[in-house]
Amino acid sequence: MATYRRGRGLGDRLLLLAVVALAIVWIAPIVWVIGLSFKPNDVLMRSTGGIHLPPFTLKNYVDIIASSQVFAWMLNSFIVAIGQTVLTLVIASLAGYGFARTNFPGRNVLFVLVLAALAVPEQAIIVPLHTMFAAVDLHNTYAALIAPRLAFPFGVLLMTQYFRAIPAEIEEAALLDRASRLKVFWRIVLPLSIPAQATLGIYTFLHAWNEYFWPLVSATKPAMYTLTVGLASMQTNFAQTEGIGFLMAQAVFAGLPVLILYLFFQRHIVSAVAGGGNK
Amino acid sequence: MAELSLRNVSKRFGAVEVIRDLSLDIPSGEFAVFLGPSGCGKSTLLRMIAGLEAVGSGEIHLGGARIDTMAPGDRGIAMVFQHYALYPHMTVRENMAFGLRNIGTPPAEIERKIADAAEMLEIGELLARKPTQLSGGQRQRVAIGRAIVKQPRAFLFDEPLSNLDAALRSRTRIELARLHQRVSSTMIFVTHDQVEAMTMATRIVVMNQGRIEQVGTPMEIYQRPRTRFVAGFIGAPAMNFLPVTGVTGRGGMAVARLPDGSEVATEVPIGAVKAGATLTLGVRAEHVLPGNGAAAKVDVIERLGERTLVYANLSDGSAVVYDEPGDVQLSVGESVALTIDGAAAHLFGPDGLALHG
Repeated sequence: MATYRRGRGLGDRLLLLAVVALAIVWIAPIVWVIGLSFKPNDVLMRSTGGIHLPPFTLKNYVDIIASSQVFAWMLNSFIVAIGQTVLTLVIASLAGYGFARTNFPGRNVLFVLVLAALAVPEQAIIVPLHTMFAAVDLHNTYAALIAPRLAFPFGVLLMTQYFRAIPAEIEEAALLDRASRLKVFWRIVLPLSIPAQATLGIYTFLHAWNEYFWPLVSATKPAMYTLTVGLASMQTNFAQTEGIGFLMAQAVFAGLPVLILYLFFQRHIVSAVAGGGNK
Repeated sequence: MAELSLRNVSKRFGAVEVIRDLSLDIPSGEFAVFLGPSGCGKSTLLRMIAGLEAVGSGEIHLGGARIDTMAPGDRGIAMVFQHYALYPHMTVRENMAFGLRNIGTPPAEIERKIADAAEMLEIGELLARKPTQLSGGQRQRVAIGRAIVKQPRAFLFDEPLSNLDAALRSRTRIELARLHQRVSSTMIFVTHDQVEAMTMATRIVVMNQGRIEQVGTPMEIYQRPRTRFVAGFIGAPAMNFLPVTGVTGRGGMAVARLPDGSEVATEVPIGAVKAGATLTLGVRAEHVLPGNGAAAKVDVIERLGERTLVYANLSDGSAVVYDEPGDVQLSVGESVALTIDGAAAHLFGPDGLALHG
């Protein structure tokens, strides 16, 4: 028993060491980005070393906030990210429940099609998407920014698998309790799938918030830029004119809302990444 | 409280016919147990009564009304599932209230019904807990409580004791029997455990391969099994089966000769025996009497405490199990003499049917 304990203690310590090492590898670039964002650009032109030494400046952040459109872009990003998250949850849940619990002709073929869509890279469909939205004159609208990613195969797959894992007995008990199909879904299945909803919701929100390529293609008017596209547009020629410090400040600024989201939903995110959703 | 009637019910899953043209009447207020081995169709039959499985063909009637065309919730049935199927995100109280709310029961009445059921099942202090905070036995009670508050016309139980430990299982058996006396609803209980069937049922329906083998009271089934399958399935240890090498008549009754040359005078009329048919003699352990008779050698001794089961081989090698008192002095390899009580022995024909007068 004592040997067993000692062995486990050593294993735990080694694991802790590995985790700390990994954490340093992950955190170091972020610390560096934050450090650089508080440095004057002319100093950084000469050297990007010594981020912990003065001089420091807030000018990079002041420059961002001084741009009248930054908060409008942030609002755009919020509308797009929230819209995508809510609608993705609705669509993925309904589709997932359909695949998991109902029997209709062609179900398996359809499910395989959904799985196949997982293999299609986002970039491959940009041109057809652009053509489609141009044809219906929807570019530079929220609809165009939100819609393309709503049919999200991974989300459908995730919800299907989760619903399948809920014992059918529970739903049958509800049917015998005189609940309609819709009520079973709404009162029993949805509440039980909150861990999966949280996973998918957080994942979708973060992806939508960080999305760059599609908004860059679709939103051509500055008023419709999302934060990512807007901040990039402030760099006339990447880092050369505005400087590395300004670039880094933009990265921090764009990341702040996500950080705040993380602080609010920390517990859910951890369990989402842990993947189980087991209580 | 209602009579349940199944009329020519069939069901197939793909190419497999799980229920074959089955007809059955369960009088109002009975505690009927569907008993049979895994895959005999008993759970499918229960699920068809509940409406969770569509009926292939045939009709199901409850209290005179046809129910197989109704939605599960409209049939006036409550079911206790094998894994309890409590709603994990609801408290015990909400679990019990859910069905009542769905039919628009006034809140005060819901509270009263929950309080009554909670008192009957002694789960009053659990009402605010969630299912994950309950033990297996407590979940079981809540599942039963959820069924009781609906005051259904019939209760269905799908192997609800299989997840409980032995002590809790026997306690719950007694409580279920008591519950049946109190609510006097028709109850249908599915199990593969013959002890559960024998102890709780007022009527046992023995099933095998999608068919009913026999319907009867526990003692009818035990004492007068209609088929060799029923005889072998009911009773522990299983009934002894010995090949019959010849039959003669004596006083109108059949006398069976066994491979070791011994004879058993049964009470089966010789008229029931078809000439030349291959017969099997069946006799329970308690009807094989030690003392004198055919020679046998003790093979295995199983001490159960109040009784001892002795597995012995007759001179021709056929195995027989018989009863001895708990403290019997015996050892493996010892020679014993055994007599089969012919009055309690059964004869089965080549089709597996028992021969009766």
